[in-house]
Amino acid sequence: MTPGLLTDRHRYWLLILPALLVMIVFYIWPLVNILGISVTEPEPGLGNYTLLATSHPIQTSFIITFRVAAITTAFCLVLGYIVSYAIYNASQRGVGLMVALVLLPFWISVLIRSFSWIVLLGRSGLVNDALMGMGLIDRPLRLMHNEFGVLIAMVHVMLPFAVLPIMANMKGIDRSFVNAARGLGASEWTAFWQVYFPQTKPGVLSAALLVFVLSLGFYITPALLGGGRVLMISEYITYQIQEFLKWGTGTMLSVTLLVATGVVILAAARFVNLRRAFLERG
Amino acid sequence: MTDTVDQEFRADFVEIAAHRYREGRLSRRGFIAALGALGVLPMMGRGAMAQAKELVIVNWGGTAADVIKEVLGDTYTAATGMPVVIDGSGPSAGKIRAMVESGAVVWDVCDSGPGSAIILGEAGMTQEIDYSVVDKSKVIDGATWKYGVGNYVYSYVLASNPRMLGGNVPQTWEDVWNVKDFPGMRTFRKSVRGMLESATMAMGVAPENVYETLGTQDGIDAAVDKFRQLREHIIVWGSGSDSQNLFLQEEVSMGNIWSTRAHLLKDEMDADSFTVTFNGGVISPGVWVVPKDNPAGTEEAMKFIAFAQDPELQVKWLELIGSGPVNPAAAALVPENLKKWNPSSPENLATQILYNDEWYAKYQISAEEQYVDALIN
Repeated sequence: MTPGLLTDRHRYWLLILPALLVMIVFYIWPLVNILGISVTEPEPGLGNYTLLATSHPIQTSFIITFRVAAITTAFCLVLGYIVSYAIYNASQRGVGLMVALVLLPFWISVLIRSFSWIVLLGRSGLVNDALMGMGLIDRPLRLMHNEFGVLIAMVHVMLPFAVLPIMANMKGIDRSFVNAARGLGASEWTAFWQVYFPQTKPGVLSAALLVFVLSLGFYITPALLGGGRVLMISEYITYQIQEFLKWGTGTMLSVTLLVATGVVILAAARFVNLRRAFLERG
Repeated sequence: MTDTVDQEFRADFVEIAAHRYREGRLSRRGFIAALGALGVLPMMGRGAMAQAKELVIVNWGGTAADVIKEVLGDTYTAATGMPVVIDGSGPSAGKIRAMVESGAVVWDVCDSGPGSAIILGEAGMTQEIDYSVVDKSKVIDGATWKYGVGNYVYSYVLASNPRMLGGNVPQTWEDVWNVKDFPGMRTFRKSVRGMLESATMAMGVAPENVYETLGTQDGIDAAVDKFRQLREHIIVWGSGSDSQNLFLQEEVSMGNIWSTRAHLLKDEMDADSFTVTFNGGVISPGVWVVPKDNPAGTEEAMKFIAFAQDPELQVKWLELIGSGPVNPAAAALVPENLKKWNPSSPENLATQILYNDEWYAKYQISAEEQYVDALIN
């Protein structure tokens, strides 16, 4: 076969092939197996999936997962929006430096960042020590080993994921619309709310989607800072497989989480142009 | 640190693979492949070159491996001339079984647990203990089996930080559930092992009746409900080092932890900020098992086990890593300052109950489910 026989189309497929094979062998195939185990263990059928309707701990864990992800997303959006706005609108200088600071956390692993929060938030951690030293409190606050601690650390980890899409979006907005609105007599607030904000909506929505979806699958931070009581689904899956050796339940939960995440993305697709959000960012 | 974590992680996955193999859900080839993928197989094969002119003792690695080498291995070699090799790769039931079935046994004496010892013995994977060589009277009651014999003990104990409690130290599990007089967070294991027992005692059940009470669904429900009541005051520990950290960082004022971790904590914390009571503790033995067709031969393995019954060596073991002597005669030899920390001293034995493997085989999985539910809601 000579190269001449290959059309361009074929050649592009050949380029994709290695990556595709890796995906199939190391991702798709195991995933199919997972799906298989979830309907065959301990006996063939949908028995594992009925647990979703009957098992109290599983339902609670899903509720915790979605609640933590939702709250994290809300905080990340507010904080991320403010940061992005400050970078592109409030200050003209130091944009590069500020963007670099946003990206800085990516250099450090999530594990280390979560451990740092343990040092800060512990009963005799820096925050409690400082507050006690200043006489503001007379006994340590419970800042971690609960949902509060998990949320603090998750917002910290997820914040860059909110800032980046919003920032990319703001970068493309022409200030002259706001100036025009101001020139036509709109107050600063009206100009922001009616002219600027609507233009940033795509960025906000893709940030929300990104943060929410990533938060759903979070493992390390809740496991370290939750004190065992903020049991999100990914930790519960580990629990099922490692502690109880219940592969059927564990894989069923994995499939359910995957489907739930898919549903979130599909639902979001009604509001966000996914192609634009993920492929043409910046 | 990383090394231990990795070791545990692997051990755990091998367990899982072995479990699936046992259940027949993983083919033999799949099992070997899984071990290979995890990098465990080379470790298992390491001793394959071993000549019969040495004795391979297998435990779970870490400090304990060094201690076995120093306390048992070197002394045994000095006494008998037989070289001893310590393999710290973790003799899980699955690995022992895979080794025996593949016909390439390279291990002589393995550190296992009562549950695994019984299962392995019944599956024909291990040898009967020769009680004409190994002395039954040198093992505490309840720690001898047909296919295994106790080698050391450890306990689930009530540890507390008197300084955080203003000197008011909890003496019973009822005290631990009394949050009014004993403030602060408590820590319990992320699994029911050794935990439901304390909740049951906190309900006022006498120690000797604990497993009887837990033998009914009502009993389990009641014990789990105790955790539901206490959960706002609970931080859960996953690994032994978690439990140690929670005390070191003064996150908790009391909790139910392993006596071996307590042994480390007593050296790491001020004398007035850490103490334990074995009152209401749950004591659990480690168990020597000998794989079928071990390279050094039955006789040599039994000789080693008998040698390790020496009370002085067992006391040495306690001093170094905190695991208690299984030989009752050792208690008298324990230095005065360590007596209080020895899980198998007569006074500590008197207040503890023996971990009941049969109960766990029967009820653990369903109880775990309820336990998680109680903690997270």
